[in-house]
Amino acid sequence: MFLRLVADSFTRRPKRKMLTLAALALGMAVATAALSVSLDVGDRLAQEFRSLGANLLVTPEADSLPLEIGGVDYRPANAGAYLPEADLGKLKTIFWRFNIKAFAPILELQVKADSFGADSFFNPPSGPSYTVIGTWVNHEVKIPDGTTYVTGIEKTNPWWQLKEGRWFAEGKNECVIGKNLVAALGVRRGPELPGGGGVVANDKLKPGSELFTYTLDRQQQLTLRVVGILDTGGPEDDAIIVPLDVAQSLADKPGQYRRLYVSALTKPEDAFGRKDPKTMTPAEFDRWYCSPYISAIALQISQELKGTDVRVIRRVAEGEGTILTRVRTLLWLVTIAALLAAALAVGASAAASVIERRTEIGLMKALGAGSGLVGVLLAAEQLLVAFVGGGIGYAVGILLARMLGQKIFGFTPEPKFFLFFMVLVLASLITLLGSAYPLRRASRYDPAPILRGE
Amino acid sequence: MSDSPMFWRIVRRLLTANYGRLFVILLALGAGAAITSALLNLQIDAKRRLTTEFRALGANVIIAPRDANANSAGGTLEQALLAGLPTENAGKSVPAVAFLYVIGEVAKAGEVHHQAAVIAGAEGQGLTQVRPGRRTEYSAEKEKDPAACEIGAKAAEQFKVHMGDSLHLRNQGREATCKVFAVVATGGPEDTQIFTKLPTAQALADLPGRISLAQLSVTGTPDSIERFINALAQRLPGADVHGVRQLAQAEGKLYNRISGLLSTTVILVLILTSLCVMAGMSNVAIERKNDVGLMKAIGGSVRRVVRLFLAEAILMGIAGGVIGSAFGVLGSIWLGKAVFGVAAQPRWIVYPVSVGITILVSIASAFPLRRLASVRPASVFRGEA
Repeated sequence: MFLRLVADSFTRRPKRKMLTLAALALGMAVATAALSVSLDVGDRLAQEFRSLGANLLVTPEADSLPLEIGGVDYRPANAGAYLPEADLGKLKTIFWRFNIKAFAPILELQVKADSFGADSFFNPPSGPSYTVIGTWVNHEVKIPDGTTYVTGIEKTNPWWQLKEGRWFAEGKNECVIGKNLVAALGVRRGPELPGGGGVVANDKLKPGSELFTYTLDRQQQLTLRVVGILDTGGPEDDAIIVPLDVAQSLADKPGQYRRLYVSALTKPEDAFGRKDPKTMTPAEFDRWYCSPYISAIALQISQELKGTDVRVIRRVAEGEGTILTRVRTLLWLVTIAALLAAALAVGASAAASVIERRTEIGLMKALGAGSGLVGVLLAAEQLLVAFVGGGIGYAVGILLARMLGQKIFGFTPEPKFFLFFMVLVLASLITLLGSAYPLRRASRYDPAPILRGE
Repeated sequence: MSDSPMFWRIVRRLLTANYGRLFVILLALGAGAAITSALLNLQIDAKRRLTTEFRALGANVIIAPRDANANSAGGTLEQALLAGLPTENAGKSVPAVAFLYVIGEVAKAGEVHHQAAVIAGAEGQGLTQVRPGRRTEYSAEKEKDPAACEIGAKAAEQFKVHMGDSLHLRNQGREATCKVFAVVATGGPEDTQIFTKLPTAQALADLPGRISLAQLSVTGTPDSIERFINALAQRLPGADVHGVRQLAQAEGKLYNRISGLLSTTVILVLILTSLCVMAGMSNVAIERKNDVGLMKAIGGSVRRVVRLFLAEAILMGIAGGVIGSAFGVLGSIWLGKAVFGVAAQPRWIVYPVSVGITILVSIASAFPLRRLASVRPASVFRGEA
């Protein structure tokens, strides 16, 4: 009988129930969409923030002070310490290895260079010296567990863009030159005479040109083929970029590098993340070590790469942290606002549907139903509406979240199953809360005046 | 309208006949209006605030000598140009700091062994904004000393100095001493540098009145920063003014993503909120069948009946909108404080917009009443639904 009464109320006035259902489904759709976007968006945005470049810098621990101005290290090549390239695979064995998105070692040196090598071989050019940056592009790193990982400078520094041509291939004498060198290196001056030599040739470098480089101690000479032109908007526009192995052989430092940039996905540092690990209790330390805070990742890298000093690039890490935290809070606010709106609308229609059924309630009570039974009956109806509406709302909301994700980030958020339960519980709570007050009043109705139509 | 007093009397009675119902409707409309105005206001504010937040990334515009051959390190600029820099962009002050770099020899005062290091003389407003980092040791009092200097974390480690210690600087026979007031960790090349007052570095380098470069931290949308750079480049023909690509590119991308995310989410939430409120209200409106039946029975034309209900809907929309939006705008000020730590500025345009939206929603919620034209009074009175 109970079930029949419930079923009856749906089949007798389908339109009314439809409206309540629609309000509920819409409300829950907003809730689902907003929740699934805000659950995923933190991770997505953290990925986007990697376009700011590396957030960790690894240098030798026992190093002399670099004399770096405007991105150029003025230390001679034999000063300072170097790090072994062979160790780099270990980066992908730390606790947060999947959060290491990219890394690229750097080895710099100064050379003399020009594009007219033939007769100046025994007489290297006397002009200014140029910076050669040796690094990885699309490099396959061997990981100790037997797999390989492809990474390079184009991933750690995404603003390094090729204006022309392509990146160099490893193992070949190829190079990419900064855009300012296109003209600077194409000028050939006459022999150095008292009074200066004039420009005798003026030819812009382009992919395919040859570039002759000489180490400053004139011990080595290397002919490089220009394969691309780089535009970074930074000091690299005045540099020659070569594969790391080429720079190593020019600098006579086989298998070594001087600086390593690491780009890692991190969790914004909160008060706990800023605590000094040395003052933590063992339990706190474990929690800290197992959270992807940038400082924890830095510690793990320095444990894996012996003799290094791992520093957090503050401007990137902290800018990222504050902005991420703010955007996240903002999205949660929007989500809560959506939930609130949904709750109110659903509550209003639940309340309305109870108010209008006074006659029915009066009749039931006249027939001998107790207040409790009437309350339970109406609540059961509302719950049924909540489940159906919540289910529909979840489906619509997932579709909406997909559209949103696709439009903004070009990805589809995974439908989360626990959201489904959350939405159902939420829908039930809201409908019950919305109808609680009218239900309580309804169960106290005196049937006689209602049935008389007063 | 000849019978307008009667018309308004009916409207008044329609509104006040059932306080419970009125309350439910006003609550739904008011909440919708509050959320609309709060979100709109917060969204406008957040986009503007975001450009400010990006400045945590540090300097994004650099003024360098034109013949910037990075290798010569010789090119310098007039220090005087610093005075002519614009101090504002998009209503926000522009921190600008001039640097002069010297490679000198440094030792802790009293020690004999000197070591080469980069000495950066700095002058201008907002060094900490241009060069973001974390000061691990700092004393505001010692900063006022004309011979104060700041040392990068790695250099501090190398020279074994702390706040309060003195450093001895020398370069080609010229000497100076300075007192450390802060140790700064940036993770960048600054960690190995020593920041002195500009005149100290100029004296060491024997380059009075010259600077190596100036760094600016300009707040604004990517477009407005671009305009700022172009305008500045025209004013300083002798210098090379350029944006920091690393930041410009990432900032532009992130700004578009985040503001796109906010706009779409807010619009979606607003549409669905309106629909929710509408569905809830329609439910309430259907209840008026009896009233309509009665009005038609005593001779009201369909048009007049519909007008009555429209007037009621508009009145409720105004009431709900005015009250709700006011709460929403006030709420967003507080929310702005919660998210960005600075109270959001209320935009007054948001208020009429959200009241307007609420009235529209309220009218649209009366939509099912149109079907009331087909209500047959007789069947209503017989109690046939």
